[in-house]
Amino acid sequence: MAGRAKLVVEDVTCRFGETVALANASIEVGAREFVSIVGPSGCGKSTLFNVVSGLVRPNAGRVLIDGRDVTGSTGHVGYMLQKDLLVPWRTVVGNIVLGAALTRGVSDRDVREARALAARYGLAGFLDHYPHALSGGMRQRVALMRTLAVHQDVLLLDEPFGALDSQTRLEMQRWLLEIWSELERTVLFVTHDVDEAVFLADRVAVMSPRPGRIAAEIPVRVPRPRDLETLTSPGFMELKRRVLGLLYGEAA
Amino acid sequence: MRRAARVLVPVVAVAGVFLLWDLAIRVLDVKPYLIPSPGTALRAIRDDWDVLAGLTWTTVTETVLGFVAGAVVGFVLAVLMSRWSVVQRVVYPVLIASQAIPVVAIAAPLVIVFGFGLTPKVLIVAFIVFFPVVVNVLDGLASVDRDLLNLARIMDGHPFRVFRSIELPATLTPLFSALKLGATYAVTGAVLGEWTASLTPGLGNYLLVQNSRLNTPAVYGAVLLLAAIGVTGFLVMVGLERLATPWRVRSTARRWRRRAEAGSSLPGPVSEDVPVTHGEGER
Repeated sequence: MAGRAKLVVEDVTCRFGETVALANASIEVGAREFVSIVGPSGCGKSTLFNVVSGLVRPNAGRVLIDGRDVTGSTGHVGYMLQKDLLVPWRTVVGNIVLGAALTRGVSDRDVREARALAARYGLAGFLDHYPHALSGGMRQRVALMRTLAVHQDVLLLDEPFGALDSQTRLEMQRWLLEIWSELERTVLFVTHDVDEAVFLADRVAVMSPRPGRIAAEIPVRVPRPRDLETLTSPGFMELKRRVLGLLYGEAA
Repeated sequence: MRRAARVLVPVVAVAGVFLLWDLAIRVLDVKPYLIPSPGTALRAIRDDWDVLAGLTWTTVTETVLGFVAGAVVGFVLAVLMSRWSVVQRVVYPVLIASQAIPVVAIAAPLVIVFGFGLTPKVLIVAFIVFFPVVVNVLDGLASVDRDLLNLARIMDGHPFRVFRSIELPATLTPLFSALKLGATYAVTGAVLGEWTASLTPGLGNYLLVQNSRLNTPAVYGAVLLLAAIGVTGFLVMVGLERLATPWRVRSTARRWRRRAEAGSSLPGPVSEDVPVTHGEGER
């Protein structure tokens, strides 16, 4: 974590009626850091993301981005879900510029940038295609480009590759790392897949079962760039074993 | 080739019905005053065309005006109801109750209030058309993915822009389902209106008058014209639907749409219009 933290989640508590979804959850993410979050189902990962994105105002605690309190307010992060949520009546380019279309209106510059982004990352021949004509992997790519095109430094990715087959998923993970290293964004990445969490991140945060909080943070000191060999290296296996141990409560 | 077949098959099917009709009349030797052959009915139209042209125009006017009024009112109501749940709770039960009233029953009081002119007919047609529009547009608005609306909120989307870009287009497919139904029902409404009372005669009046004269070929002629109006309306809606919802039938956007959507005048690379291929793989 170099210098001042980009994103700070400070003692966030979130209750829905009787249920305590988050209890004093805290995490700091440095600028251009990649942090994976893993945890058992129902541990409040999605609630945490809803708080950080501003959709849900927590009962207690704060969210800071660049030191500014953004608790309960939207428009500060890029957000991507497992569902691609592409708008069926907008083309690939139209979907990438959605953020502009819903806020200030689409400028020529937005369109130029969207076209360049899509062309650069393998969708050159599909700029004017409707989403239904794309494969699952391509759709997720468009969804990620739409997330990048809102020009927010902090990206929340909520199991973005969870619905893809394993081969496409690996392809997407490598692609995400490529983009992340080129575009220098701060990423918070929720996943169920421990391999994925370790492979991508600088640090893996493990959440406890409900009420959710960050129970442990494991730095991933596996050299980058990472590739297929990383997945079978001893260092990687050791980290994976520790994360699994934390997740399933065995001695790590 | 396949395109030609798409047009040809329905034409042949309709022609087949006419052929069977003609055949049945000949084989069973049915008298023309009971059921005329299609040829006799068509001749009746031709022979009386000077009168029928004007009457058809009247009925078409009633149908189109009522249809447009019903569609607009239905659409606006649905949007208001989805915006404010209070409106929905108050208005929806009233609407449903209104649809329990037989259209024939409502025609008479309408005539008392609005006279024998165009207005009551337009109202009856609108009354028939608006309800399916309300129900379908409401369904369309409710079908928008909550997560997509949340994403729009996270992006700080302006409510009006979100409505225009995400919610409104979601109503188009169900809206056109309602309009296709409405296009055929609308003619029935116009005829019912004319039957109740009319100083501006249309095909409905003509049908009644010819029926009382036992001029069966003319009655059938009028029926064929009414059917033609309904079918034309339906086809117009199908055409408009294809224009309004190209993403359902095409894999790429037409050039003018790309610009409209992007709000831009960039020429951009032109990709060929490719026919739909579902589940197309990468590259």
